Amino acid sequence: MNKIIALAGVVIKELYRRKDFYVLFVLTALLTVAAGAVNFFHDDKIVRYVKDICLLLIWVSALVIAIVTTARQIPAEREARTIFPLLAKPVSRGQVIAGKFLGCWLATGVALLVFYFFFAVITGSREHLWPWAVYFQAAWMQWVMLAIVIAMVVLGSIYFAAPSSTSTISFIVVVGILGIGSHLKVIALQQPEPMQFILTAIYFLMPHLEWFDLRDFVVYDQSLVSWSALALATGYAAVWTGIFLMLAWLGFRRKNLTT
Amino acid sequence: MSAILKTEKLRVEFKSTEFRQAVKVALHGLDLEVNAGEVFGFLGPNGAGKTTTMNVLLGFVPATSGTASLFGIDVRQPIARQRIGYLPELTYYYKFLTADELLRFYAKIFGLTRAETDRRIPELLKLVELEHAAKRPIKSYSKGMQQRVGLAQALINNPDLLVLDEPTSGLDPLGRMKVREIIQRLKNEGKTVFFSSHELGEVETVCDRVAIVHQGELKTVGSVADVSAGSVNLEQAFLKIVGVQSQPLP
Amino acid sequence: MKASPLLLLTALLALAFTLASSLVTQADGWSRRDKSDNIFGMMFGDGRKLFANQFFTMADVYFHSGYYPSIYDRGGKDSEIVETSHGHTDTPDDEIKEDFFGKPKDWVDAFGRHFRIVSHTHLDRGTEREILPWLRLAADLDPQKTETYTVGAFFLSEHLHQTNEAEAFLREGLRNNPDNCEILFALGRLYNESAHDITRARNVWELGVRKFLLLPSADQKENKIVFDELAVNLARLEDKAGNYGQAINWFHAAQRVSPDPGALQQQIDVLQKKLDALVPVVPGKLY
Repeated sequence: MNKIIALAGVVIKELYRRKDFYVLFVLTALLTVAAGAVNFFHDDKIVRYVKDICLLLIWVSALVIAIVTTARQIPAEREARTIFPLLAKPVSRGQVIAGKFLGCWLATGVALLVFYFFFAVITGSREHLWPWAVYFQAAWMQWVMLAIVIAMVVLGSIYFAAPSSTSTISFIVVVGILGIGSHLKVIALQQPEPMQFILTAIYFLMPHLEWFDLRDFVVYDQSLVSWSALALATGYAAVWTGIFLMLAWLGFRRKNLTT
Repeated sequence: MSAILKTEKLRVEFKSTEFRQAVKVALHGLDLEVNAGEVFGFLGPNGAGKTTTMNVLLGFVPATSGTASLFGIDVRQPIARQRIGYLPELTYYYKFLTADELLRFYAKIFGLTRAETDRRIPELLKLVELEHAAKRPIKSYSKGMQQRVGLAQALINNPDLLVLDEPTSGLDPLGRMKVREIIQRLKNEGKTVFFSSHELGEVETVCDRVAIVHQGELKTVGSVADVSAGSVNLEQAFLKIVGVQSQPLP
Repeated sequence: MKASPLLLLTALLALAFTLASSLVTQADGWSRRDKSDNIFGMMFGDGRKLFANQFFTMADVYFHSGYYPSIYDRGGKDSEIVETSHGHTDTPDDEIKEDFFGKPKDWVDAFGRHFRIVSHTHLDRGTEREILPWLRLAADLDPQKTETYTVGAFFLSEHLHQTNEAEAFLREGLRNNPDNCEILFALGRLYNESAHDITRARNVWELGVRKFLLLPSADQKENKIVFDELAVNLARLEDKAGNYGQAINWFHAAQRVSPDPGALQQQIDVLQKKLDALVPVVPGKLY
C-alpha cells in the first residue's frame, strides 16, 4: 500500500504544481461572482441561479481536471521514459495502475473540496443558510462518480497512446451518459430491432453516472437523499471502478512498453 | 563466485510489423551469468539485443522462452528488483519534482524508513554533486544534471547490483569521467555493475569481464584480456567478432 | 535578396490597411450580427432564440422546483408557463407532468429515482423570485418572445408585489413589440388590479382592442383568446364603473370569439337588468 500511496503522492504534487487547477478555479470563481453580481429586477434575494451556474462550473471543472490529469499519466510516463526506472523498482504494474488511479482521485477530491467550499461561501453569504448535509451528499456523490470516470480514463490511457484521444473519447462518453443515460431505454423502445436490443443492452450494462448528479437537490433546496441509497450508489461506483481498473491492469500487465 | 544475474536459453520474439515476416527474434537462447562483485560490460552493435536483454531482466518485456533471474529470483517477480539499481539511457524525470522529492519518492517505493531516507539522500546528492540544486525543480536541470540525478535514484536503495544502460551517453568528457569514477567506487565497495556501452575504451578501463552479443546471440564472454587476445585492443576484437574489418584511413 | 523583417511587416500592414479600406463598404452587408442592439444578438445571431426558449423553460423548471419532465418524457413537446386571467399559474401539460414518471420501468429507473426530484411542488411565499433571472435572460435573448414579459410581469406584480418592476418590464416588452395585444392586456390588468387605476387600464385595454382589430384576419383568428380577455375585462371594468351599457357592448363583442358565449349571455342578462333598473320611472297619472 505504501508504494501505491507514494505513486499517488507524485500525481497530487503534479496537480498542485500545474496551472490547470488554478485556471479552472479562478474561471469558476470569476464567472460565479460575475453572475452573482447581476441585479435582476432590483431583487437581491435571488440565489438559485447563482447556485445552478456555480455547480455547473464545478461539474465541468472537476470533469476537466479528472479526465485531463488522468489521461496524461501513463502516456507521460512512457513519453518521458520515467516508466522504466519506476518499473525497474520492486513495484508491480498493478500497483502503478492503482497508484495513478488513487493519485488522480485524491487530487480531484482536494480540488472538489476547494470548489465546494467556495460554493458554500458564495451561496451562504447570499441566503445565510449552510445546509452542510446536502452539500456533503452532492460533493460525495460527485467524487464517487469521478472515481468511475478516472478508472475509465486510466483504462483508455492504456489503449490510446495520445492523451488527447483518451480525453476526447472520455468526455464524449461521460457527457453522453450524463445526458441520456437514464433515458436510453425510452430511446431504445422507439428504435427498430436490432438497435432496440443493442441500446437496451447498453442501458443495463453501462455505468449510470447520472445517478450521482445531486445538483438539483442543492439548487432547489430539497430534502436529503436517503443515506442507504447513497451507500448503495457508492457500492455501485466501487464495483464499476474495480471493473475498469481490472481491465486496465489486464491491458497494462502484458503491454510492451518499449515500442 | 555466485551468479547474481543469470539467463538461461533466453529467447525473445516480437511480432514484426514488416510484411510477410510473422515474428522477429531479438534473442536466440542467450546464456549469461554475472557474478557478485564484478563490473560486467555488455557490448554489441545497435540492434544486437543488449537493450532487449536488459528489458527482460528488468521485467519490461516478457521472455518468449527460457529463464532470467536476479539473485536467484525470477525477474517476473517485482521483489527480484528489490536489490537492484537501474539507470536508463536518457530519461527525463518528473520535471515538476525537485531532486530531493524524486529521491524521496523512489525511497518510498523501496520501502526505506524515514531515517534511512534522510541519511541517504544528502549522501547521494553529494556523490553526484547536486547538493546545490536539490530543492530546484528538475525541469531547470541541464542534461548532465538529469543524468546525475538518474544515477542518484539508481543508488537510493544502496543496491547490490547496478544495471546501467549507456550511462555516459550524451555526457560531456567531465560527466563521463565522473560516471567512471562512481562505477569504480561502487566496484571498490563490492557492488556488482552490469552495463551496456558503445564506448569501448571506457569498458576496457572499468570492466572485469565483458560479453559481446550480435544478432541476438552471445558471441563471446570473458575477461577484457581474454576477449582482446589476438587483437590490438578491445575495439579491434569487437569489430572482428561482429564481422567488420576496420579500414585504414586513406 | 534579403528582405528586412521590419520592411516586410510594414508592407503587410500597408496591404492589410488597403484591403480593409476597399472591403469595408462591401463587408457592411455580410453580417447583421454586429448591428444587433445587445451582446447576445452579436454573439449568437438568430441562434439566441433557441437559448431564449431554453431559459424560458428553465423558469418553468425552477417554478416546479426541479420536478420536471425531460424532453424524452415530454415526447419532444415544448413546455411553457402561462398565466391566466383567474390568477392561477401553471403549465398547459401540468396534468401530464403530475404523473410523468409513471411506474418504474426497471430496477435502474427505480433506483435512479432516489437521486431525482420526485415530488411536485411549486415555488411560493416569495421564492417565486427565483424564476426571474431566467425570464430576464430569455427577454434579452429574444425580445420578441412576448410570453416572457407577460409571465414575468405576472409574477412580479401578483406574487412579489413589485408593481413598478412589473410595469417597467411590460413597457420594455411593448417597446420591443409595439402592437402586441397580449402585453397591452397584461399592462391593463396591472393598472386595474395592482395599481387600481381604472382609467389607465381602460385606455390600455381599448388600445389593445384597436391594435387587435388592425391585425390581419388570420392573426386575429389565432389571437382571438386575447381579444376575448380584453373584451371581457373591459366589460367587467365598465360594470364596476357603473357603465352597464358599455359593459354589455363589450360582452357582446367577446361573444363573437368566446368558446362559451352562453356564459357571457348570462352576464349580459344580469347587466341588462341592472341597466333596466336604472331607467327612471316616469310618474303616471295619479288620478
